[in-house]
Amino acid sequence: MAQPFPYTYYACDCYDSNNTTSSKRASQILAAAEEEDRTFDPRSPRSNYSLYPLEHLLYCEDCQQIRCPRCVLEETLNWYCPSCLFEVPSSVVKSDGNRCTRNCYNCPICTSPMTVNSLDTSNDNGPPYILACPYCHWSTVEIGIEFEKHTGISSQLARIANGGKPIPTQKERDKERERRKELGSRKRDGRDVLSHSEDSPSTDTERDDPPPSHDDVFSNLGAFYKAQIEAQTPSNPFSPHDITFSSPSAYNRIMNLYSNTSSKRNKRQKPAPMREAASLIEGLTVHNPSADAAAIERIKKEGWAATLSPAQKLTQINPNIRFESDLRPIATLLCTKRSKRCRSCRHILSKPESKITSTRYKIKLLALNHIPRLSIRALPSTATMPPPPSSSTQQPQFNYNALNSGIPTHFLLHLSNPLFDPIRVTLATPSTTPGKVQSRVTILCPQFEVGANTDVWDDALSSSLSPIKRGSIINADGQIEAGKIWDRGRNWTSVVIEVVPGFLKPVAGFGQQVDGADGEEELGEDEDVLEIPVFVRIEFEADVNAEERGLGDARGSKGERERREEAFWTVVGVGKIAGM
Amino acid sequence: MSRPTARKAAPKGEYIETDSGNKVSRRSAITGTANITLGGRTVIMADVVLRGDLHPTRAVPSSSGKEVTPTSISIGRCTVISTGSVIKPPSRISRGQTHYYPMKIGDNVFVGPNCTISAISISSHVHIGANVTIHPFALIKENVKILPNTVVPANMVISSGSVVGGRPARIVGEVGEGWGVSGGGAGTGLGVGGGSEEKWVEGGDLRELVRSIK
Ligand SMILES: [Zn+2]
Ligand SMILES: [Zn+2]
Ligand SMILES: [Zn+2]
Ligand SMILES: [Zn+2]
Repeated sequence: MAQPFPYTYYACDCYDSNNTTSSKRASQILAAAEEEDRTFDPRSPRSNYSLYPLEHLLYCEDCQQIRCPRCVLEETLNWYCPSCLFEVPSSVVKSDGNRCTRNCYNCPICTSPMTVNSLDTSNDNGPPYILACPYCHWSTVEIGIEFEKHTGISSQLARIANGGKPIPTQKERDKERERRKELGSRKRDGRDVLSHSEDSPSTDTERDDPPPSHDDVFSNLGAFYKAQIEAQTPSNPFSPHDITFSSPSAYNRIMNLYSNTSSKRNKRQKPAPMREAASLIEGLTVHNPSADAAAIERIKKEGWAATLSPAQKLTQINPNIRFESDLRPIATLLCTKRSKRCRSCRHILSKPESKITSTRYKIKLLALNHIPRLSIRALPSTATMPPPPSSSTQQPQFNYNALNSGIPTHFLLHLSNPLFDPIRVTLATPSTTPGKVQSRVTILCPQFEVGANTDVWDDALSSSLSPIKRGSIINADGQIEAGKIWDRGRNWTSVVIEVVPGFLKPVAGFGQQVDGADGEEELGEDEDVLEIPVFVRIEFEADVNAEERGLGDARGSKGERERREEAFWTVVGVGKIAGM
Repeated sequence: MSRPTARKAAPKGEYIETDSGNKVSRRSAITGTANITLGGRTVIMADVVLRGDLHPTRAVPSSSGKEVTPTSISIGRCTVISTGSVIKPPSRISRGQTHYYPMKIGDNVFVGPNCTISAISISSHVHIGANVTIHPFALIKENVKILPNTVVPANMVISSGSVVGGRPARIVGEVGEGWGVSGGGAGTGLGVGGGSEEKWVEGGDLRELVRSIK
């Protein structure tokens, strides 16, 4: 999700470290970072996976670390349909899959949720009904499906094939398979199953039938495997007909049950290797060149428009379809409510209330309550800046999408402190931004303090906190003096950062090296985006946290304070450099 | 350049402020005012169209036997409808007649500029980007972010905590746990997130934003 400029992303350092870092102190990480003299590169492909907006980050109070979606463990609390908002029990999810089994369908063409409409025009919305897309106007009429009732769409749809023909039920399929098997074996008269081919009389009927549907093949294959397992365990007393063999674990369980209750003779006997499916009724799909030829003919006649896009194909249950006439409405995918744990200490970091309609959380440890919020905005041009700060709203809007190359531009870096203790902040940034377009960056006041996040009313009462006089920070030449903060409030401080946006094309004699080979190179996507990596280190003294204090209570050290620090990389998206 | 103080003193401001603190632009186009309720401290910006005249026409049963004014649009507290947006209650045609259904918009909802909204309901703490179209009877639950230029198809239900985008809209993500949480005094100074020019947080309390609009 691209954010408009300016923005700030926070880097979670789990991206390049193993679990060991979680035990490291911030100072050690800092030391390591300094040792390697490594700058966080927002353009590195790996950074895609470590940068997050602050509101997406959690904070583990035990590890004293930021936790991003990559260093938390998720646990599903419940499943629900995002469309009808009904909770789906996990047992149903296990048996029926992760889709809504009510009336919720998405359009196979455009993904929009579909509605049940009546085709009846005479009286009040009687049958027949169809599923229709309100966005692209595709409907089940196009695949020849109509419904008798406006509820229970899923069960009705499961019985109707495209074109309106009924889909055989599982029982009917089983019966049909048995019939064919008998027919085949009788006519083949003891012939080897594998030699079952064109000359076999049974294929005459098969050849006239349309090719088996995806579901037919699946059920045939399922029945074949079931038969194979039964053949292996002929005296199974646990009635395998009631047990599904759809999962390997169920199969294993049955095998174990069997081997435990049976005599050792069976155990010693080496099970005969299972053979693979060898015919259509066993689920074998033989490549059919005539089907391919027919498909090609159809494309010739109907054109590409009748075929499916890869995205449309991927959302279908049957992956082998090619044409729009084969589409089925897509049952809506379920969503989940999840709780999150710290990956290294397993403490719960967030846990929503399990009720679907509730948006509240039982536990929610947000990073934005523990680490300072860094934001940036353009500082109105110092030359024309009028002294009263309240007039800033009347300034013309700064265009973040067209930064001028080579012209020093001032921005305000604003740090607000969510902690109840004042913090000392050290900011660091590389002097030139990484990437092909090198912009020069200078933080004019990299070290400063930010007040504690005390009660809002303290702010009003302690108005004695005199506002910084702008005159004092701008010297006689109209330059902003380095080493001084720009402004501060109750729990925030702002400092000036000077940025000289780089040149998209090298300009000779403008302080930039013109490298012949480099100059010819085309700029990649987003090379004109000016992003500044900013390293933030905060130091503060805090009360020893409750748990540790509990241990130290014997010594009666209630008001004990400990020195703490945090350090992390952020990336500030300043804007886009305008072409010249 | 005019001083802001001088502007304030002008005889007619941009906004008419009601007793409950609603700010309604003089340049907005509101029809059927009797059928519209604003919860207080809600902002209706310039060139916004509120179609209060499209109200339910079916007889409303009333206990006292008195004529009850039907509501067509009800908007909660601290909600901001930005410039050029059109709010039109959804309608259905049955037996050749058009029937309008009342639309409800919750608290702290931000509607970006140039949107067209015909949803049946938008819950609280929803952020709608610029140029979004919401077709009739869409239902938007709490804490939803709709990206700019999205088209939400008719009847779509957007469950709470979703980020939706595209044409037609589909769920493209989830808002973070920190959605709408201003966290540690962002109330003073600058806000965060996209376009952090503002002193407020998407999906959060819009009181500061409402206060700053003059
Ligand atoms: Zn992480
Ligand atoms: Zn559903
Ligand atoms: Zn569609
Ligand atoms: Zn932890």
